[in-house]
Amino acid sequence: MKLWRIPFLTRKRKPNRPDFNNSANSEPRNAGTNNAASHQKEPQPSEGSYSDVSTDVATNVRRIQGILGDSSDIVVRKISDPATGLDKVAFVYIDDIVDQQTINQMLLQPLMTEIGEQEKSSSAADWFHILKNRVVSIGHIVELQALGDAVAELLGGSTLIFLQDSTVALAASTSGGEKRSVEEPTSQTVTRGPKESFTEGIKTNLSLIRRRIKSPNLRVEYKQIGKQTQTNIGIVYMKGIVNDKVVEEVRLRLDRIDTDSILESGYIEEFIQDAAITPFPTIENTERPDAVCGGILEGQVAIVVDGTPFVLLAPVTFIRFFQSSEDYYQRYDIATFLRLIRYTSFFVSMLLPGLFIAISTFHQEMLPTPLLISLAAQREGVPFPAIIEGLMMEITFEVLREAGVRMPRVIGSAISIVGALVLGQAAVQAGLVSAAMVIVVSFTAISNFVIPALNMAIAARLIRFSLMILGGTFGLFGIMSGLMVLLIHMVSLRSFGISYLTPISPFVWSNWKDLFVRVPHWMMKKRPLPFASNNVSRLGDRQKPTPPKPKS
Amino acid sequence: MERINQSQLAAMIIFFQIGSSPLFLLASEAGQDAWISVFIGMLCGALLLIAVTLPIHRMAPDQDLSGILNQTFGRVAGSVVGIAYIVYFCYKAVRNLREFGDLMNMFLLPNTPISLSMFIILTIAGYAVYHGVEVFARVAELTLAAIIIVYVILFLMMYFTHLIDFHRLEPILDTGIKKVLNAAIPEVVSFPFGEMVLFLMFWKYAGPAERTPKVTMYSFLIAGTFITLTTMIIISSLGPLAGFSVVPLIQVVNLVEFANFIERLDPLVALLLFGGVFMKMTAYFFGAALLLAQLLGRHRRTGIIPAGILIFVGSLLFRSYMQQVWFGFEQNLKVHFPIFQVFFPTALLLAMWIKSAFRRRLSG
Repeated sequence: MKLWRIPFLTRKRKPNRPDFNNSANSEPRNAGTNNAASHQKEPQPSEGSYSDVSTDVATNVRRIQGILGDSSDIVVRKISDPATGLDKVAFVYIDDIVDQQTINQMLLQPLMTEIGEQEKSSSAADWFHILKNRVVSIGHIVELQALGDAVAELLGGSTLIFLQDSTVALAASTSGGEKRSVEEPTSQTVTRGPKESFTEGIKTNLSLIRRRIKSPNLRVEYKQIGKQTQTNIGIVYMKGIVNDKVVEEVRLRLDRIDTDSILESGYIEEFIQDAAITPFPTIENTERPDAVCGGILEGQVAIVVDGTPFVLLAPVTFIRFFQSSEDYYQRYDIATFLRLIRYTSFFVSMLLPGLFIAISTFHQEMLPTPLLISLAAQREGVPFPAIIEGLMMEITFEVLREAGVRMPRVIGSAISIVGALVLGQAAVQAGLVSAAMVIVVSFTAISNFVIPALNMAIAARLIRFSLMILGGTFGLFGIMSGLMVLLIHMVSLRSFGISYLTPISPFVWSNWKDLFVRVPHWMMKKRPLPFASNNVSRLGDRQKPTPPKPKS
Repeated sequence: MERINQSQLAAMIIFFQIGSSPLFLLASEAGQDAWISVFIGMLCGALLLIAVTLPIHRMAPDQDLSGILNQTFGRVAGSVVGIAYIVYFCYKAVRNLREFGDLMNMFLLPNTPISLSMFIILTIAGYAVYHGVEVFARVAELTLAAIIIVYVILFLMMYFTHLIDFHRLEPILDTGIKKVLNAAIPEVVSFPFGEMVLFLMFWKYAGPAERTPKVTMYSFLIAGTFITLTTMIIISSLGPLAGFSVVPLIQVVNLVEFANFIERLDPLVALLLFGGVFMKMTAYFFGAALLLAQLLGRHRRTGIIPAGILIFVGSLLFRSYMQQVWFGFEQNLKVHFPIFQVFFPTALLLAMWIKSAFRRRLSG
């Protein structure tokens, strides 16, 4: 932040440059929108260019064009019909972000019809009344008096309607434009369960949530964050289930954000997470509506960000990253088994190379003799110590993985051939690495993909490298030290006031039903405790399925 | 103020008691009756706890040692006793740290300088202290379950590989009760059972306060029973050999061979033991840092570095493992047990009683 104190950078803005965003933020525009209060502290520029809506339509249009710098995509449609007393009315919108059809059918056409039906000349006040009540056939309209607000609405996709001799402008919500349709999730796939995924539009995303939870207690709060991007953020939670303090804390942290741009929910995540320096994610993200609904129903707060399919969920505990939504759709026995596999994979992907290096370098006596001999034989021609060998292979794999993500899809097969054959088999045959190390690294890599949450998998990847170095320098002692530090760190972590390792420490027995074992739904009588503060019970009595008793 | 719950307190006490005890064969003079000595030692320790240490806490449930000392002995005398306790805690931490370093050197990392491994483990302990009582207690809670499971598996493996032969415990009380008692008092009482004085630093964080004495007693007895059991197992598997080996438990584990491929588990057991030693060392480090910071009137975190330096330098003063073990047991009998575990606490308790009686007389 020191940077901003440099005089060169904090030079006063030119007085005639409009700063409509500040103005737009400084007054609440309608009940549904709470603006970041932090913007209010900035002094309001006082030049007349965007003060109030003027009575003269031409002036208003000129001012708006001035504010937007005569951008070519602004469309102004002026209509006047002196015979009916309609002096002048102007429709202003930005071509790219409106739905042209809506404007034509809901604004222009009704007006034309209305003009045609008018028999006598009406005053400006009458016309305003007619416009508002008989012409504009759109659900969401706002009356505006400040030009700055009008510009903000315009940029949000509304159409502004100015009437001569009226100091009130109307903004009709006509937002549209090209959007991606709802598709299958690409990053969190399931074999059984809904195949819908969030998209980039916040409206679509909220509709996906609303459609699943038809409860009056589902609450949505809008905020706008980002001085330039004015990104819409939706806070979604279940009133009566969620802990109100958590919602309050989420609001507080979101209001504190003072930034230029929010382009993805990752921006929000970094601004509001609890611990800044940690490899572990303290906020969950998902692109699955069913996962979000599940979270909301257990007392989490969802943060939907416009422009990204990834919705944030907070607070979150460590174990939530190992629960896939599919666990609740498959039978509980297999779900339990898969969960155990996931925990094991997490530890394998974190520990295995480190342990292998440590044991093969420092504690060979732990290995059964035949295995030791075979390992030693493999390593015979390898010129590097195990730690270098391991790091080399791991980095090679990371390069392959990154290449797999970045490269064009067309040449994907080339990478797999090069990766599998050249780097794996050939490296062993050339005596650069031992076959055992290739196996270890590959298994580690595959284990890493088992973890359902990508951000937790990334944490394991990073920790793996430090554990390898520790194992290569201090053996098992090094690994134990590393794990101890990790444990202390994880115990100290919190997510919105909830301890990160919650059901394990502090020990909450009732949450163990959904930890290693996923018990059948009829046994999960209570919501997980630390999230849900009230309305804890979620099941009726006697939900266990029993066959009807035979009539005797 | 941070709070820990009763199960976390119990985990801390069990961990602290078990700590490094399974490393040694306690009361080895008593021969095959060592486990009886340990049991008697535990009972005496429990008596000390009930009669002296817990009443001190109960008279001032929301104070820790430095507060109690200042209140009872006054600022100057209280500080002097407080400094003495800092030295005592630091020495105890040194002892555990040194044990840790030496065993590491012996069993896992023969080529790494001992100062380096000690430095690393001390830094980790400092990190735990930095995060506070709650985090430390919760780490104890988490690891205790794991450690106990590993111990149980280990004992079962010993049993099923027919290493354990309870006939080695016979004849019971062959040489008479006197020898057993001599081995138990004061040696076993002072280490590990008399060390509960440290918990005067931690009890005030535990809530609800009225359950603290009960939970403390139970966890103390559980830990004591566990140590007795360990001693029994060591003796019944090694027999008279137990008295000679450096770390008897590792010696036993060395002999375990299971299902033809699980063998040579000693690095694993070494780590297990070190887990206990680490927790105990951290507890003492914590006590010293906390006490130091409170005497200086500062936040807990300011005490970490001075106490850490003191402990690290202290641990380098010993020439060898043998010297430090000898020194430890020697000092235990001469200084720690009589002065820090019995004399000061008893004097403190008496002073508190007299003071409160006096106050009652004055007000009444």
